[in-house]
Amino acid sequence: MPVDSRRLQGPESAFSYTLLEKKDANAEESILSADLQKMLIDSNHVRKDKRKPTDARPLFLRTGIISQAKGSAYIEQGNTKLVCGVYGPREVQKKSDFRLNGQLFCEFKFAPFSCQKRRSHQQDNEELVLSGLLREALEAAVCLHHFPKAQVEVNIMVIENDGSPLAAALTCASLALASASIPMYDLVIGAAVRQLPKLLLLDPTKDEEWQPKLNHDENNSNLTVGFMPSMQQICAYVHEGVSNPEELEQMLKIVTEYCLKVQPVVQLCLKETVEKMLASEGENNDAE
Amino acid sequence: MAEILLSEAEKAFIHHGDDLRCDGRTRLDYRPIILETGLVSNASGSSRLRLANSDVLVGVKVELASPLSEKPLEGRLEFFVDCSANATPEFEGRGGEDLANEICRFLQMSYMSGDTINLSELSVLAGQQCWVLYVDILILECGGNLYDTVSLAVKSALYTTQIPSIKVATMDGDQPELELSEDPYDTKRLNTQNVPCLVTLMKIGNHYLVDPTPEEECCSSSGVVVAVSGSKKITAVRKIGSGSLHPESLVSMLKTASEVGAVVNKILMKKLLEEETAGKTQKVGFMR
Repeated sequence: MPVDSRRLQGPESAFSYTLLEKKDANAEESILSADLQKMLIDSNHVRKDKRKPTDARPLFLRTGIISQAKGSAYIEQGNTKLVCGVYGPREVQKKSDFRLNGQLFCEFKFAPFSCQKRRSHQQDNEELVLSGLLREALEAAVCLHHFPKAQVEVNIMVIENDGSPLAAALTCASLALASASIPMYDLVIGAAVRQLPKLLLLDPTKDEEWQPKLNHDENNSNLTVGFMPSMQQICAYVHEGVSNPEELEQMLKIVTEYCLKVQPVVQLCLKETVEKMLASEGENNDAE
Repeated sequence: MAEILLSEAEKAFIHHGDDLRCDGRTRLDYRPIILETGLVSNASGSSRLRLANSDVLVGVKVELASPLSEKPLEGRLEFFVDCSANATPEFEGRGGEDLANEICRFLQMSYMSGDTINLSELSVLAGQQCWVLYVDILILECGGNLYDTVSLAVKSALYTTQIPSIKVATMDGDQPELELSEDPYDTKRLNTQNVPCLVTLMKIGNHYLVDPTPEEECCSSSGVVVAVSGSKKITAVRKIGSGSLHPESLVSMLKTASEVGAVVNKILMKKLLEEETAGKTQKVGFMR
């Protein structure tokens, strides 16, 4: 990995002060998911942020947030905040790649202050893989044959990561692409679900998200899905953790139902965007 | 992959072939596998796996290091995938980096859940010293289905990895003394029974194939890679390719993958045990 020599790196021995926190007896070392479950859900079957297990966080969408970009969108899902900018279609940078179909370049980046642990300024491996996942998902939705020999760039910047960043990124990116008038087959809606032995939590926050940990007992995992509601097709599917096919089927059903519910919200946002554009064009015409 | 030229007739056959593929296999058959372990004398464990035309060499080196501050009682596994430029012309220069990164990250994810591997066995001195297993994967030739080939090779290499036994001598003030056993054959091995194998399923037309050849990969737009552990649980799933999948197809692919994975795991462990009990036969190496 090329080293970033222009920015000051912290001293090698720097570590997060949260490691010095006094841990409760049960918190981190809890091996049994049953204990974990008790932490996330209380006796009334309500989560820490007062949601029911099958409730998603409130969603806020806005387009036109980056004035210089062809299309842009901002999403807030609870405390997870993301911005997406779309540039293009423009000429392919690497002239050696002659392709009959257009190309999509995605960059997924966490802002250094977005997560609990400081991220580096350059893309690390996790961000590179997320960029690849995003690109594969969007390639299924965008009509690439409409812009041959051209490329479209999609840049995602996560401002605050409170769980399910990939899911929010999928929704935000498709909203930005649509507002940039890039021809698409369908919108991609992203959703995530956390699986615990006898419970499924839709749209987990960072605390509720699955963390890589070994020696867990059955059925403890995280699933992120990118779904195209009108076409009924899955364009992104990432599952981490232990599970079995029957449980995965259950999780998929919950997630696809949620995506169908979110689709009208995204469409409404796009409708408002178009209305605003027409209204401002009308004003310009009047002014002339 | 190197230029794949397919005629229309060949493409039609791949799409519509009724459980009979170009090389005579059924849809759930693997191509012949050649496996040999213990080839690299400087590595603590190594293996070379050849799946038809895909050739992978894995070397495991064990080193002492300090454990991660968040996980003081565990050792760790570090994967690194190197796509050699010899494997396929696309890997020239930095071309293979994206694929290498994806394979690396997916392997890491699939090893980090459930009961796949017991990392606390790798701890030498709690919070201060632990074993780090550097698993270096070299892709020598690319003949389709890299994920599966790599995962089987890694499992075999880990199976044969010998970790020297270290005793912690008296604590001299703050500095504990580590004593390496005098007997070079006094080693321990990790329990790799539950280590996951990756199964790639590509969707072509209305059906899906296990172990796709490069020609079949060309004809397919999407698929899933499923990590199935030795205890028949699914530890990670990722959709690959730029196409999309219907939820029902995805669910049936996951079911098939978990069954295939269970069989592959069983046969691999059986063969590794056979090789071990066969004793010191002459190594074939790369001569064949």
